[in-house]
Amino acid sequence: MNSAILIVDDMEINRAILAEGFKDGYEILEAENGLQAIELLDKNTNIAAVLLDLIMPGMGGMDVLKHLNDNGKILHIPVFIITAESSEKMLMDAYNLGAVDVISKPFMMNFLRCRIGNIIELYRHRNDLEEVVNEQVERLNKVNLSMVETLATLIEFRDCESGEHVKRICGLTDILMTAVSEMYPEYYLPRGEIEKVVTASILHDVGKIAIPDGILNKPGRLTKEEFEVMKQHTTRGCDILTRIPSVMNEDIYRYSYDICRHHHERWDGRGYPDGLAGDEISIWAQVVAVADVYDALVSPRVYKAAFDFDTAVKMINNGECGTFNPKILNAFNVSAEKIRRGENDTENS
Amino acid sequence: MDLINELETLGVNTAEALARFMNNSGLYVRMLGKFPAAVKEADVPAHFEAKDYVTAVATAHTLKGVTGNLSLTPLYKAYTDIVALLRADEPEKAEAILKEILPVQEKIIACIEKNS
Repeated sequence: MNSAILIVDDMEINRAILAEGFKDGYEILEAENGLQAIELLDKNTNIAAVLLDLIMPGMGGMDVLKHLNDNGKILHIPVFIITAESSEKMLMDAYNLGAVDVISKPFMMNFLRCRIGNIIELYRHRNDLEEVVNEQVERLNKVNLSMVETLATLIEFRDCESGEHVKRICGLTDILMTAVSEMYPEYYLPRGEIEKVVTASILHDVGKIAIPDGILNKPGRLTKEEFEVMKQHTTRGCDILTRIPSVMNEDIYRYSYDICRHHHERWDGRGYPDGLAGDEISIWAQVVAVADVYDALVSPRVYKAAFDFDTAVKMINNGECGTFNPKILNAFNVSAEKIRRGENDTENS
Repeated sequence: MDLINELETLGVNTAEALARFMNNSGLYVRMLGKFPAAVKEADVPAHFEAKDYVTAVATAHTLKGVTGNLSLTPLYKAYTDIVALLRADEPEKAEAILKEILPVQEKIIACIEKNS
């Protein structure tokens, strides 16, 4: 509960009057200048309003307003300018910096208490409402994520998988993307973006829903024609994503679309569907490609048994599953132990 | 109460001030007790003498706020005019008003000091 009022004035007489007026109902904090005010504002989280003099020795009221603008608190804490000032320009500047009201000295305490009390109440409602909205957005994001996960898991069930592949791809993408980002500045991504890439990786195979069962679950090697159909899961996936963009936030949609389309591209340009080469392929699509290949190798499929960890690592490094970015392979090898543990964790669960 | 009655005879609007102080006459008297020191610290005449009008306007502005809040009405009116004239670049007129009000200010300060 916000319950303190910060009174900022260099004259004790002025502070004492305001303190007397508000002491029943609020905790009173006092500052003699702008610097003290800023320290109190940074330290106390329960300030419901600031009563601010403009002209003070040292740091004045305008600087306090600027500070509150810089840290965004001006949106949540009402600031009242209480001043003997009558210069229109100065008062306008104060309004432009987010002051909610200007009260002239000398003031009438009864009116002052009503005006300030009303605004504090309004801000309290607004802040509460903002909190409720934020909670709802977070809940909505969780629901959306679980819908996306459900969709991906359903598709995997058609593929005779249990839904674990999607979870493992997320874990592998996280380990690999983090390592690449830490090892190579040109591929650096902030943590928040890596998390979006991880979420986006969930839908990399969504296009498989459009592939006929006979091809998707064929126990033997695919014919050339069948493989051509199979390759379409990348572009068909993008078609599906364009129809459900509102389920995801904009960034995740953008990453999903790119990963879905390009997770079968290869560094030497011999992948599909677009035959992109080198860094024409986004780093996140390259990372998911390695994660996808690794997981396919260590998992049993209708057409093959699972390879052990060492064999899988060797096959990827030898280029037996296509050519990858040497920097990603390096990050993959550096993270091999983590990746192996991740694999074991999944097997044990 | 002697102080408040006596100040009234000097043109101080004590009823308005008491309303501002939530009828806490003890607090009003205590804050009046701080006024002489505030005037001394501001030392507006010295800044006029030194022709330092930047400091003069700042200190007169401070006293405008304080005298307003204490309802020392004649002083409040004078400091309001002094601030406005200094900002209008008319220091001579401002100084004339200051000289006129200083004896009233001294009487008010003497009254406060006598009763505290």
